[in-house]
Parts: sequence; C-alpha cells; structure tokens
Amino acid sequence: MAEPLLSVTEVVHAYGGVQAVNGCTFEVPEGVICGLIGPNGAGKTTLVDVVAGALHLQRGTVRYAGADVGGWSPDRLARAGLIRTFQLSREFRQLTVLENLLVAATGRIDESLAGALFRRRQIAVAERALVKEARGLLEIFGLDPLRNDLAVTLSGGQKRLLELARAVMAHPRLLLLDEPMAGINPALMGLLEAHIRRLNSQGITFLMVEHNLGVVDRMCEPVVVMAEGKALAVGSMADHRASDAVVTAYLGRGRPA
Amino acid sequence: MPHDLNYYLATLAVYFLVYCVLTLGLNITFGMAGIFDFSYITFMAIGAYFAGVAVLPPSNQPGLQWILGLNLGFPLDLLIGAAAAGVMGLLIGLLAIRRIRSDYLAMVLVAVWTIAWSVTSNMIGLFNGQQGLIGVPQPFETQLGVNPNDYVFVFIPIAAVVLAILFTVAYCIERSPFGRALRATREDQDVAAAFGKRTVRLRLTAMTIGCLYAGVAGALTIEFLSAMSPNAWAIVETVIIFSALIVGGRGNVFGAVLGALLVRIVIIEGTGLLPTLPDHPELIGATRNILIGLLVIAVLYFRPQGVIPERRRRYFEARKPAADTSQEVAKGG
Ligand SMILES: Nc1ncnc2c1ncn2[C@@H]1O[C@H](COP(=O)(O)OP(=O)(O)O)[C@@H](O)[C@H]1O
Ligand SMILES: [Mg+2]
Repeated sequence: MAEPLLSVTEVVHAYGGVQAVNGCTFEVPEGVICGLIGPNGAGKTTLVDVVAGALHLQRGTVRYAGADVGGWSPDRLARAGLIRTFQLSREFRQLTVLENLLVAATGRIDESLAGALFRRRQIAVAERALVKEARGLLEIFGLDPLRNDLAVTLSGGQKRLLELARAVMAHPRLLLLDEPMAGINPALMGLLEAHIRRLNSQGITFLMVEHNLGVVDRMCEPVVVMAEGKALAVGSMADHRASDAVVTAYLGRGRPA
Repeated sequence: MPHDLNYYLATLAVYFLVYCVLTLGLNITFGMAGIFDFSYITFMAIGAYFAGVAVLPPSNQPGLQWILGLNLGFPLDLLIGAAAAGVMGLLIGLLAIRRIRSDYLAMVLVAVWTIAWSVTSNMIGLFNGQQGLIGVPQPFETQLGVNPNDYVFVFIPIAAVVLAILFTVAYCIERSPFGRALRATREDQDVAAAFGKRTVRLRLTAMTIGCLYAGVAGALTIEFLSAMSPNAWAIVETVIIFSALIVGGRGNVFGAVLGALLVRIVIIEGTGLLPTLPDHPELIGATRNILIGLLVIAVLYFRPQGVIPERRRRYFEARKPAADTSQEVAKGG
C-alpha cells in the first residue's frame, strides 16, 4: 500500500507547561478530505502549526510526501506543496486582492533581484500567465470584481474566500484548513463547501479543522477526533457517533461543538 | 539672473538630487520591506567616510588622521563608499534581522547608530574623530580647473546621472515580483513564509540595497561638500528621512522623490531663509523640526499612505469565462 501523504507520529508540543499536543498519531491518505475535530483547546491549531513548520516539532515524527519533514521551515514545506490557512484570516492587507493571489505563486515566476533588473521581459510573460490564472480563480470565488481593491477593505466572508483562493493559487498538494467555516453565514458556507469538494476532485488533499459537525459529516472521511493533545479515534463520523469514548470527549465536558 | 542666485539654486538642486537617493533607498528598506532601519543615516556616513579616505592621501600629521588614504578618484571612491555601506548593512542585517523580530529590531538599529557614532567621534585614527574629514578633493576638480564658485555646475550632472541610475533600479524593483514579495513580507512575515517566501533573505536583501543607496548618498555628499563629520549624521537625520518618505508616500518611487522635495528643499531650505534672531540662533532648527512634525501629522491624518501612495496595479481588460483556467487550478497537486 502506498505511503500516506501525511503521517503524524507521537507528536508533542508544549507551550511552557501546557501540553497542547501530547503524543498525537494519525495519517492522511492522498486524495481525501480528512476532518480534524475536537473540543476547544484540544490542540488542533497547535498541531496544524507544527505540521506546517510554524511551530517547532519538540518530539515525534512528521512525514509528508515520503520525506521526514520534522524541522523543515514553513517556506520550505510550502514550496513542497504543503500549504495552510490560518484560523483568523491573515490577508496581505495593503496588497490588492489580485496581488494576494500572485504572491502565492512562489516558484512560478522569477522573484530574484537580478530578475527584477535584467529579466524583465521573461517576467512580464510569466506575470501575464499568472494574472490569467489568478483572475480565473477570483472569478470562480466571486472575487474578480474586487481584484483591484486592497485586501484590507474586504468583508469577513470575502476574506475567507480570499484565503482559500490564495491557498489554491499556491498549487498545494496538501492543504491544511483551520476552521474555514468559522464566522461565516450559511450561504457562504455552502459555497466554500462546494469549492473544497471541487478542489478535492481535482487532486488536492485536505486536512480540515472544523467545529461545525454537520459540515464535517457531509464532507470528511476519515475524521480524526482530538482531545487533550491526542488523536482519540480515527474513522467515519458514523463510527464516532457510536463510540462512547468520542461522545464523552465531546459531550462529557458539556461542550458540544 | 545674478550669479549668486544661480549658484544658490544649483546648490539646492544638488542637495535635492542627493536627498532623493536617500529617500529612494529607505523606500526599499522601510517603504517596501517594512524594516524600521533607525540606523539608516549611519550608512550614509559610512559611504561618505569611505569615499573620503578613498580620495584622500594617506594621513601623516597629528590632527589629520584617518585609515586607508588611497589617492583614488571618481567614480572609484563612490563605489568604495557604497560597497562599504552595503557590506556593513549586510553584516548588521545578518546579526539583527535573522534573530530579532521587527519591534526589537528598531531598537537594536538605534543602538547600532549610537555605537557607530561614538566610535567614529572618539577613535581619532579612524576618520579624524569629532572634527571629521576635511579638504577632500572634489571629482574632476583639478582636471577641469573650474572656478570653485562654478564647481556646482560640474557636480549637478554627476549627481543627476547617479540618481537616474538608482531611480531606474528602484523603479524596476517596485514593479517586479521581487518587490511584491518584499511588500508581502512587510505585511505579514509568517504568511509570506507560509507561501514559500524566504523572508529572512528578502529582508536582508532589502536592508543591503537600502544601505547601498545610503552609501552612495554619503559618497556624493562628501564629494560635493569636501567634508564629513559626526555633526552631519545625528540620529535626527534618520528621523527626517523617514518623515520625508512618509510624507511623500512610502512604497512609491515618486513619493520618495516628492518627499525629498517637500522636506529637504521646501522645509529645510525654506526655514534656512528665515531671519536669525541674534539672541536665539537655535530657533531656525526648532522651527524646521516643528514644521516637519506638523507635516507628518497632517499627512498621516488626511492621507495616511502619503501624498503619492503605493502604486496599486489595476487590471481592467475584460475576461472571457473562466472555463479553461478552472481546469488548471489544481494541476500542481
Ligand atoms: N501561544 C500559546 N501559548 C500558550 N498556550 C497556548 C498557546 N496557544 C494555545 N495554547 C494552549 O494550548 C492548548 C491547545 O490550543 P489550540 O491548539 O489552539 O487548540 P484548538 O485549536 O484545538 O482549540 C490550549 O490549552 C491553549 O490554551
Ligand atoms: Mg484552534
């Protein structure tokens, strides 16, 4: 059997004395939309940060695309196709919507100083292709009319769409989404859901942290349940609903998501 | 026109051209890459001193002491000054930018200025201490044999050519994917890294380019004025260059030029024309600083991005339906 695209083994991350991730183990096969659920404070965001290289891997192993990527920097992981979004939208505020997407195309245009001075013609050609691709994406996400606006002027929902469009512009192989549906209205939720499904059908693997269990139920398979820094169970949502341990982890604390 | 007025205006033109080099350099470091380089004027001084000791002969008398003394001419002195500033900027960047996040970096860079200023003032053997370098021969001074009062007309084209080159470089950077990556790094280093940018390398490059510009400005300054001393690079000079850039428009080469005009020429030279009160000679400097401060506040209030804000490239051309591109979207996956 082929090696999973991502495997996380006994990963540990503590903030000072707080064991946020405490021996977490699971795998994400290529081609799936894998859900990652769990109560607040379970360590989901911390785990995403560790996998994406934004936080130091203190113990354990992270393998991605056949390589041990523990200790890789976020930019190196990104260039290898591992892209993440942030729990709170973090657009490049003083760049236009279109520029936000163009920035994501690292490696597909010459970004060197020498290029800026001496290879302007080749860059112009590459830039035209990128702009075409970016505008195609913006159109799909309904943002093309806003392409020339500074990202800081977008509404909360539009920023969510921009986050996803920008991540797609990076040509990810694995896309980590941290609560993409948080704080958006139901109509937009349906739209994002459709986008994620379509991108998945085009070959992007997803690991998606999500609190809305309805969304997870519809979209994700497998689903990893995290609690107190560990992966408690991995399976389908139907399995989890039948499992006492999972129900206790969620409901026992009186905090259904 | 009377010769005096011509001479005065020509001198202003040189000051303006040199100041444009300063604001254009800071525009890359601060305007585009968002690095609060509060040591900026230090690199102007390094450029000036090294260009000076490149031109001067070796020193051999007490009271006139400096390192090197290479007896070289223009433009080698300018290249040496710029290179010295660039190398120093790169070294300080390697120490500071790699390890320290933006807020502390600004303070560390103030400390860099403090150290550089004290060392230069007190180590006489370096660049002649508090008195500084004096009597540095001007470019082509002896070859052309012009009257000292007309020399400014020789220097204008020199400064103009240098500025034209540096303006073009800054213009190309501003409109390039490299410049866009710098701006993304300025907006959010973590996100830029999450999209594959080597943010430390980008910031180091921006810092080094800015220092090279400052070094060129310093070399031009000592070539024109024949002198450079610690008085000329007090920390307030860095603040004034920042002010000029913020007023003109950070992130925009034309904003940098406009800021140089408004602050260096209109305010600084304008206040210089005020009558001096015999008992209060310091009033002119105070007026100058107050006016600069008021201008910065007014601009930040009414036009926070500066008079000429960062350029937003707009795309207008109509597009056909995106049927084909939607297929390309995930190909990399
Ligand atoms: N920067 C931080 N410093 C200290 N503790 C943190 C930090 N971020 C998160 N934590 C703690 O780590 C635990 C896991 O947090 P997090 O990964 O954000 O969980 P989740 O995303 O599942 O809600 C929580 O107890 C939280 O309080
Ligand atoms: Mg979280």
